[in-house]
Amino acid sequence: MHVTQTARSTRFALAAIALAALGGCAEMQGKEAEEPTRPRVFVANESSNTVTVVDGETFTVVGTVDARNHATHDLAVSRDGRWLFATNLASGRLSAINTRAMETVASIATGDRAHVVTLTNDNRQAWVANIGDNTISIVDTTTFRILGTIAVGKGPTGLTFSRDGRFAYVSNQGDKTVEVIDTASHRVVKAIPVGTNPHFLVLGPDGRIWGTNTGGTDIYVIDPATQDKIASINVGPSPQQIAFGFKGLQGPNAYVTVAGLNRVVVLSADPANLRILEQIDVGQRPNGISGNREGTRLFVVHEISNDLKVIDTGSSAVLATVPVGRKPIRVVFHGS
Amino acid sequence: MSSRLGGLVLAWALGAALVAVMGGPRIAAAQGQPVGTAQNAVGTLVIVRTDGIEHRLQGKGSLPLYEGDVLRTEPASQALIQLRPGTPVALNEKTTIKILSRWDKSVAGSGTVRILRVSRGELWAKAGSGERLLEVETPASVVSGRDAEFDVKVGEDGQSALTVVQGTADFGTPFGQCAVRSGTASVGARGAACTAPQAANAAAAIGWKQAVSQ
Repeated sequence: MHVTQTARSTRFALAAIALAALGGCAEMQGKEAEEPTRPRVFVANESSNTVTVVDGETFTVVGTVDARNHATHDLAVSRDGRWLFATNLASGRLSAINTRAMETVASIATGDRAHVVTLTNDNRQAWVANIGDNTISIVDTTTFRILGTIAVGKGPTGLTFSRDGRFAYVSNQGDKTVEVIDTASHRVVKAIPVGTNPHFLVLGPDGRIWGTNTGGTDIYVIDPATQDKIASINVGPSPQQIAFGFKGLQGPNAYVTVAGLNRVVVLSADPANLRILEQIDVGQRPNGISGNREGTRLFVVHEISNDLKVIDTGSSAVLATVPVGRKPIRVVFHGS
Repeated sequence: MSSRLGGLVLAWALGAALVAVMGGPRIAAAQGQPVGTAQNAVGTLVIVRTDGIEHRLQGKGSLPLYEGDVLRTEPASQALIQLRPGTPVALNEKTTIKILSRWDKSVAGSGTVRILRVSRGELWAKAGSGERLLEVETPASVVSGRDAEFDVKVGEDGQSALTVVQGTADFGTPFGQCAVRSGTASVGARGAACTAPQAANAAAAIGWKQAVSQ
């Protein structure tokens, strides 16, 4: 009984985290009011300059959106699912995509080598990390104006916010650090050494910040309470991105795409007891990974085999393989 | 005659089909189409193209400007440029700007909003109506002007002072928005909303541009 209640409450927390990862607490302002959207999986295809839109229930492609830019890399979807923001490395621009129309409606110049995008918890701003400029651009998600920039360390590649929105975390490849930005003052308040070539960052189910050292073999966990790295574990060469889910009663688990192994490595998501539980064979060079809100499905994209695999976390079985564009990098899920 | 007309129709149809297949114009930061000209420099105006090539204007001239160009004035230098379609901009000394744009489907006409990103220094601009909307980005704020004449000065840590000479400009930081009207000024600093507009001597604020405007 106790286990069931714990699992249920953790499941609830995971659902909240999944929503937070989608970008925040409030509706985006303005725009049209329409019926709820169907579950959708969005895939950024870097070498096709497109976003593939997949039905989250049937796992069939329902559309392809031209990002109207070059080297489409990262994605962030609004809480209501109506807006998708895509970075474009080669263009240094952010594409704003109306998901209902499946159309790019704005192209915003952020900075050199626009790499990742994350929405603030209230969805009012999109923060974009520009590797070439060593800056974060702050984009108003309603007017698409750039409201300001924040100078950060060398080669910012990962970006996420704390649960309470008080802090933003930026991983810097060149400095081998994660910088902590106070969102009230827009100033860097700490730089945490984390390891070789830090890359992806994501908010975990217990409010901690999880990151990958893509230039190495490990992942790490940062506690926002102390702003320190509190745990790390080797998972294999070139770990890329992290999602969270359950295997039946077991969980929450962390699922890490490890490009050098062509596997998803499954870990206990308890930072005090990090250990590898399982390894799931997937396609060639897995990179992006995302989960559904319930933590029962994983969506993994592969840079070389150019496809999306849907994995059932309960059985670790691949339910579907969906062809997408060339060199898919990032995948995000929206819906229940 | 009719066969010639038929050929023209066929060519038009093929062109239209090609545009449809290509999915419309791609928003690349190509330097193919000039977006304005540099017309005058007191001292030296340095223009750095996206490939790193540098041009210098000293005195009057007509150097084409392209999207992605970085314009820089040195100490004791000022410059006057003209952005298409008809937006004059003056740069004070020790100023660096980058010419950019945003494409927004909801914006009338071509959908292009001209943007000047100021990393340091001071500029004056007179934004026109319609498609001549101009945005000026600083490290801590953004100014959006249409039918407005204004001066923006960027100081330490990106702190930006906006003085509006004519019309009304929208002034925003990540923490709030202000409508700044003719004869008033506001300041946008990192970590704060723009200050409430206060009465200002607008003529004095733009006195510096007299020499380069002649």
